[in-house]
Amino acid sequence: MRAYRAKNKFWTWVRVAFLWAAVLAVLFPYTWVVLSSFKSPADLTNPTKLLFAPVLDNWARVFAGGIVNNFGLSLLVGLATVLITLLAGTPAAYAISHYAVGGRLARFGILLAELIPPSVLVLPLFLVSYYLKVNGMVIPVIVAHLTFVLPVVTWFLISFFDDIPRDLEQAALIDGCTRFQAFLKVVLPQVLPGLGAAAIFGFVLSWNDMFYALILGGETAKTLPVAIAGYNTFRGVQLGDMSVAILVSVLPTLLLSFFIQRRMIRGIGGGGVKG
Amino acid sequence: MDDRRVDTAQRPFSRLFPYEWRMMTPLLAVMVIILAYPIAYSAWLSFRNVDLTKPGRDAFVGFDQYVTVLKQPLYWTALTNTFIFVAVAVTLELVLGLALAVSLKKQKRFRNLTRAILLTPMFVTPIAVGLMFRFLLNNQLGLVPVILQKLGISIDFFSADLALLSLALIDVWQWTPFMMLMLLAGLENLPEEPHEAAHVDGANAWQTLIRVTVPMMKPIILVAVLIRALDALKVFEYVYAITRGGPGAATETLQFFIYKIGFGYYRLSEAAAVSWTVVILVMAVLVLSLWRTTRGRSA
Amino acid sequence: MKKSVFRMLALMLSAMLVLGACTRGGSDSGAGSGGDAGKTETVTLKVIMEEVPDTDIVLGMLHEFHQAHSGIRLDIEALPYDQMRDKIVASFLAPRATYDLIVVDNPWMYDFASAGYLEPLDDRIQQAGGAYHYEDFAKPLRDIAEVDGKVYAIPFYNYALGLIYRTDLFEEKGLQVPATLDELMEAARQLKSDNMAGIAMTPQRGYKVFEEWGNWLFAAGGAIQDEAGNVVLDSPQARDALAKYIQTYNESAPANSLNWAFDEALRATAGGQAAMMLSYNWMLPTLNNPDGPAGELAGKFGLAEVPGGKAVLGAWFWAIPANSNNKDAAWTFVHWLTSPEQDTKRVIAGGAPVRDSVMDDPQVHEQGFGQEYYATVKGILKDASPLGDGPGAEEMIQAVGLELSAAVSGQKSVDQAVADAAKQAGEIMSK
Repeated sequence: MRAYRAKNKFWTWVRVAFLWAAVLAVLFPYTWVVLSSFKSPADLTNPTKLLFAPVLDNWARVFAGGIVNNFGLSLLVGLATVLITLLAGTPAAYAISHYAVGGRLARFGILLAELIPPSVLVLPLFLVSYYLKVNGMVIPVIVAHLTFVLPVVTWFLISFFDDIPRDLEQAALIDGCTRFQAFLKVVLPQVLPGLGAAAIFGFVLSWNDMFYALILGGETAKTLPVAIAGYNTFRGVQLGDMSVAILVSVLPTLLLSFFIQRRMIRGIGGGGVKG
Repeated sequence: MDDRRVDTAQRPFSRLFPYEWRMMTPLLAVMVIILAYPIAYSAWLSFRNVDLTKPGRDAFVGFDQYVTVLKQPLYWTALTNTFIFVAVAVTLELVLGLALAVSLKKQKRFRNLTRAILLTPMFVTPIAVGLMFRFLLNNQLGLVPVILQKLGISIDFFSADLALLSLALIDVWQWTPFMMLMLLAGLENLPEEPHEAAHVDGANAWQTLIRVTVPMMKPIILVAVLIRALDALKVFEYVYAITRGGPGAATETLQFFIYKIGFGYYRLSEAAAVSWTVVILVMAVLVLSLWRTTRGRSA
Repeated sequence: MKKSVFRMLALMLSAMLVLGACTRGGSDSGAGSGGDAGKTETVTLKVIMEEVPDTDIVLGMLHEFHQAHSGIRLDIEALPYDQMRDKIVASFLAPRATYDLIVVDNPWMYDFASAGYLEPLDDRIQQAGGAYHYEDFAKPLRDIAEVDGKVYAIPFYNYALGLIYRTDLFEEKGLQVPATLDELMEAARQLKSDNMAGIAMTPQRGYKVFEEWGNWLFAAGGAIQDEAGNVVLDSPQARDALAKYIQTYNESAPANSLNWAFDEALRATAGGQAAMMLSYNWMLPTLNNPDGPAGELAGKFGLAEVPGGKAVLGAWFWAIPANSNNKDAAWTFVHWLTSPEQDTKRVIAGGAPVRDSVMDDPQVHEQGFGQEYYATVKGILKDASPLGDGPGAEEMIQAVGLELSAAVSGQKSVDQAVADAAKQAGEIMSK
């Protein structure tokens, strides 16, 4: 018994040490970023300098440059993408899963769009946005994001629906519901946590994209990644400003993930993707 | 099995547009609208000779672009590099993600805080992550080498041998949280009985993990690995921000290769051809490996 | 459960509406106004530029331009290099003009001009007459802008390379400014110490390594192209230059710096961790600025021509897209900005010079960065040569850059790398 307890303690320490190591590995780059955001140009020249007189210039400049606007735009694009994705993808995932629409072809075909590189898809999208006179606005950016978020999130959702037993629906139908009612009242609530997880996943994909937002969005539709990439200039990477921009993109999402991660984890597990 | 079809309708409308297909309509509509033209255009491009700086030369050339592409040694280098990158990164992410998931599951204190912190790397746009690490790993100016040097170690992170690995490690930093998330969710929904049974049978923690837990998590592992791998295939920002494909061609990846040809050399048709070879290749791999294990018409 | 779904959706929708209203999400993106430049209504020019110090200076001069030409407004998009190029490439495909004025990097010149994307400017230059003094622009720059006998662009600013070095360290060790490659290598060796590299190099694959090594090639007496434009890269001088470059990298450059580009080299030099670097000539004022990146080391840097005197030339030019609707207004701006009077002001404000008269102007010396600096720049520009001139220049530079990087990192032998580079360069430029 003692041996067991001792071994247990050992593994506990290993576990704790491992988690600490992971947290440190994640926080370490951020620490450097935080420090850099307060450094003057001279101090930035030596990124390892740890003792210095902090300045707020970088913060002032970046916020004056409209980073909040960029943040808002990224948020808008992300939410719009996720909304459309869920509205279109959920019933389709349900149909593919429960009614085997399209068979295996559908399950694989959906991923086709996922594989085509942005460099190639961006040009036709660019042309279309011109012909429709929406070039430079957020709309083509949302459409572009849909091209890679919609397939993978739908595919993701299919596995959630796979795990809902058919009997639930059957019971509802016997009780007198139409199939659509059964879907709304019985099946959907079961996958709700999964939808949440899929939504967050899709949002992250859209949040991180820089390439489409750059080419399809104009000066006025600049999302956060484009703004961040803008600090990689010819006169050198503007580390101070870029650090501020990175923090602006991370801090809110840190807070967000603090509150959401519980739902997310329950979501992916509960109701989805079991054996 | 045919109970599903219990309402196969009497009315002709429903016969023609059965319920299940009506549920598909939104998705099909959106996908056709946003993808049909771009995909068709890029396929059309790959059979022509579009070069932005030579507008007069555009013509139908059949498979010529594909032949040109397949003959380029750099193409094969890019292909190999990308696959190595994916294999290394995703494997590491899987192992680390599993270890983290297992550890997190048992954690009692500071649960939510730890999990929230560990999730954040996913939310930083990849180009920022690339630039961050470019300076962190810089031998003379970066924090990491400074610390390593105090320990007496000198590593050239972006040498010809290590560059690809370094980029893979950066990918691991950014995306292990995703794996961890998926696996943790899978773990939290496993039934307790098999684990208890194993414990009663005298298995230690390690054996329980390998023989009981992991096999039960196969489906979610598969989903996570597949999503991650498809995404890793498109690695671009890290190369773009740090090495530009170098030294030599050590970190030339497919996306970077395509970008260079399309936007750097203006040869859009060639870029499209490269893209399609990748699509065909990956689809083939996917289909071959997963056809049997995926559900089709039969439940 | 249904209620919470709807609540969530409602929340999302309202969030989107609020965001859409608050953020300026692309309300007026469109192309330049279609108005006739001759009429008195305001013309808005859409301009795309790179994010560089000279762009900032131009932005600062807009106020004056508006006073002189109130009917023309400028909407300037300033982006980093690759992003800017990507947008220009995309704009060539667009059915309507995206930009009325663009800046063009020298490797792109031939391809853009021969494809018909740029408007020929000969007539306009002629009309501008003697007061404009077109021949005043440094000759190598004018040569680049001329494709098949027509002029397609006006020089904006140069980025020719020079040797930037620590004057105090040179004095301390009693070193002279190196005039040959061997002297450069020796100086680097002597300056190398435990906490300082002799020279910060930029061996990053692609443009960077070629841009730096090109100077070594010239110093060794080699050339990239001959008069007719044929690639003559494969020569004993080239092999010699590459071998020496690699040797210096191994001996005197910062350790493990294979992927260093301009940024790292600048930081190392500004931070006192490297004693020299081959870099853009206009970095000197930046380094000697006490508020700049060098901090305490400001004032201790000097600029010299690269050993041998022949430097790699890079330059940006103003060009008008052929499909622009506002060419006259665009030319009005370019004419104004690049005229001797305004260009002088630009250079005094810190811009990199392109006109010989400006570089000789005593007023510029006094209000700018001193006679010595401008004299050095003039010397650099006199026989600077671009990396590639002709079709496929951009691709050629990338191909050679790959081979050079392979050699520096030890993946290929010097002979093999030079031979491969020359072969590929030849193939690319003859397509």
